Amino acid sequence: MSTSGLSRRQFNFRSISGVALAASGGWALPSFAQTATPKRGGTLVATWGGLEPQALFVPGGGGSSPFQTSTKILERLLKLDEKLEFQPVLAETITPSADFKQYTITLRKGVKWHDGADFDAKDVVYNFLQHWKPISAGIALKALSKVAAPDSHTVVLTFDQPTPEFFLKSILAGQYQLVVPRHLYEGKDLLTNPLNNTPVGTGPWKYGQWVRGSHVLYARNASYWSANRPYLDKLIIRWWGDPASRAAALETGELSVAYSNPVPARDIDRLVKTGKVVVDTRGYENSAWTVTAEFNQRREHVKRKEVRQALLHAINRQFIVDTIYFGRGKPAISPIFSSNKQFYTDDVPRYAFDPKKAGALLDAAGLPLKDGKRFSVNVVAAAWFEENAKLGQYIKQALEDVGVEVKLDSVDRATALKRIYGDYDYDIAISNFTAPLELVPTVTQFFTTDGIVKGAAFRNATGYSSKDMDALVSQLMTETNPKARQKLAADFAKLASTDVPIVPLVEMESFTLAGKKVRNVTRGANVQGESLDDAWIDS
Amino acid sequence: MLALLLRRLLQAVPLLLGVIVLNFTLIQMVPGTFLDVMTAEQQVTDQAMIDRLRVTYGVDQPPAIQLAKYIGSVAKLDLGYSYRHNLPVIDVLWAHLPATLLLMFAALLIAVLVGSAAGIVSALKVNTWWDTAVSVFAVLCFAAPSFWLGIMLIILFCVKLGWFPVGGMVTIGLDGGWWTQVMDILHHLFLPALTLGLFYSANYARVMRASMLEVSRMDHVRTAHAKGLKHSAVVLRHMARNAMLPVVTLFGLQLGAVLGGSIVVEAVFSWPGIGGVLFDSVMSRNYPVVLGILVLSSVVVILANILIDLLYARLDPRIKAH
Repeated sequence: MSTSGLSRRQFNFRSISGVALAASGGWALPSFAQTATPKRGGTLVATWGGLEPQALFVPGGGGSSPFQTSTKILERLLKLDEKLEFQPVLAETITPSADFKQYTITLRKGVKWHDGADFDAKDVVYNFLQHWKPISAGIALKALSKVAAPDSHTVVLTFDQPTPEFFLKSILAGQYQLVVPRHLYEGKDLLTNPLNNTPVGTGPWKYGQWVRGSHVLYARNASYWSANRPYLDKLIIRWWGDPASRAAALETGELSVAYSNPVPARDIDRLVKTGKVVVDTRGYENSAWTVTAEFNQRREHVKRKEVRQALLHAINRQFIVDTIYFGRGKPAISPIFSSNKQFYTDDVPRYAFDPKKAGALLDAAGLPLKDGKRFSVNVVAAAWFEENAKLGQYIKQALEDVGVEVKLDSVDRATALKRIYGDYDYDIAISNFTAPLELVPTVTQFFTTDGIVKGAAFRNATGYSSKDMDALVSQLMTETNPKARQKLAADFAKLASTDVPIVPLVEMESFTLAGKKVRNVTRGANVQGESLDDAWIDS
Repeated sequence: MLALLLRRLLQAVPLLLGVIVLNFTLIQMVPGTFLDVMTAEQQVTDQAMIDRLRVTYGVDQPPAIQLAKYIGSVAKLDLGYSYRHNLPVIDVLWAHLPATLLLMFAALLIAVLVGSAAGIVSALKVNTWWDTAVSVFAVLCFAAPSFWLGIMLIILFCVKLGWFPVGGMVTIGLDGGWWTQVMDILHHLFLPALTLGLFYSANYARVMRASMLEVSRMDHVRTAHAKGLKHSAVVLRHMARNAMLPVVTLFGLQLGAVLGGSIVVEAVFSWPGIGGVLFDSVMSRNYPVVLGILVLSSVVVILANILIDLLYARLDPRIKAH
């Protein structure tokens, strides 16, 4: 229970071809991939590897827990499916103009809010202007200058600059761009609206009851726009504070499906052997997790590129995967992960584990051994995941092996956020981030100058600033040709892996555990936020 | 009696003030604020938005003003607002209070009954295998970490035998009359209350045993035996009642801590109590809730003390005479 807002997970990937590599763990492929005729009825109990959310819907995000609870009631305009293609939800089509400065969104007709009011273009305009642009997607929608509703089911977006289609669709299908009802929110503060605890949406599930500290109950929306769905009668999201009791609940069948690493990696095999539970690593493509080393550019020594590159040669990433992550992950080679089939490239500078080379590079950088040491650094490990604390210990060991003295501070969540992202009080920080397929802005703002915002977490905390990088990212933001964009992304990966201000060390593997009879619970590219309208229980 | 009540209530005011000032200062000294946690969770990067949040949650004011405002609002029985729950603090506490009280009272009941009985048995059969067995039991219950004991009970009774549910307080969506509901809650309550109760009972067993041995050598016990009373009557009326005083003291101490709940047992059994809220609130620096729980706890301590004073007087009339 060390984490709450940040999800407790490790990582997942599929090979580019989409074959699940995770089967290397020796598990059979989950049976919920089978296609059979869905059955109506039944109750599904879901959970995840973390705690209760602060509110069922938290404008702007709030982490994985409210993401899971809100997405059953509130919907987005689009979704990214398991084949990593965009599918219509509340928007039927989104069409760019020839110059990519204008997009026309056609909305689904006949959709009703749970209170009976009609959903229309005014709702979407409200969300663009009052919800997404000011709160949940400010940087991504910076160039959005005008939102108009020419008729009741059409919305036209106007941008200051060309906006790539994949980028815009990714934002709209992203974690935070939920459509809230204008008629219930307008004129009130979105952040503190009590309705966030009892949301009213368009989704397959209606708010039923939230018993604090225990569970939230959803009722079936009988007039959902997709006929016959949802298949289940009831949906319950329940929280278990302790991973061991979560595992026991899966075994007894009290729990049907648990997302985002509900139990420690070493327990998976035991649970699968009971024959009651299956494991699935699919469905985390659009929220891939990594553990990173960040180098503070305001500090002596680590602000020099050649020193950072040398230090990376002292770190054995495969060892980290095998020992700290029990093999559930793989070494990362650039800020674009191997699960990202849109932009992944392996043509980047790499830093093989070679302590001798690290020593030689440090000698060449003018930092020779004096009395057994070269210089000291302060490593701050954000211990919201226990793996981070272990990684901090490993980094200390590894750097001391090449003569760099390390003062290690493993600190709790709030302290880590303040020291790394608020006070910039570290030389090397061990932290994490989760990235969607689209690089802008989530990944790029760790590298761009405009990503330096004091106090804003999971942004450019290193102070790295490079004209080349800024230029590359602004091209990435406006390049509308997909092929040219991929080329720019590859250039970005190369430059990021050359300058190495922040380095993903491991692509962590995420997994879902589910009961044998449960179907269609891992469809989509970010499964914890799927609406489960097509989930069903086999007899 | 009335004077005692008044004196106690008067003493409560500086105590409450002390609790608030001390804890407020401690929270201010801890690195990281709830705003750091909140902006990180909500991925807020916009400086204007961060400033807006600072104003919304009143943290743009200097700490002294925040403290003064807090004391002022507590005086009006308003414990503030929890951004994290999007609810007033009092509502957050109210939502979790019944579960915690139920669990703690059930656990204390088990502890007092099991512990006192074990203590009496081991004192009566002192230095026999009975005594040794009780001592071993007490040491085991006290030494076994409650999360371990809890998980072992879950594996045995829930996973293997299937007698009890794995966690929670009620069966979700259970229909039925109040009798069904009550039985359902008791069904869920049994294992967590047992885990916690056995842990506490070790203390009672030891204290009761020592106290019984002491009382058994007293003159009035010999007199009672001499006047031909039945052994059981001597044990229950003359020994146990007198030996209860230290047990009541211990009970009072634990009663005061009842609101803190047991974070560990609540987590293992997913019991929707206050312990989990406190833990989460400390981790997220959600100080209105932390302060609220501490203020409420000090109120409970004060009430428990009054109750124990009254109980003393009932058990030992000499105390009232002073």
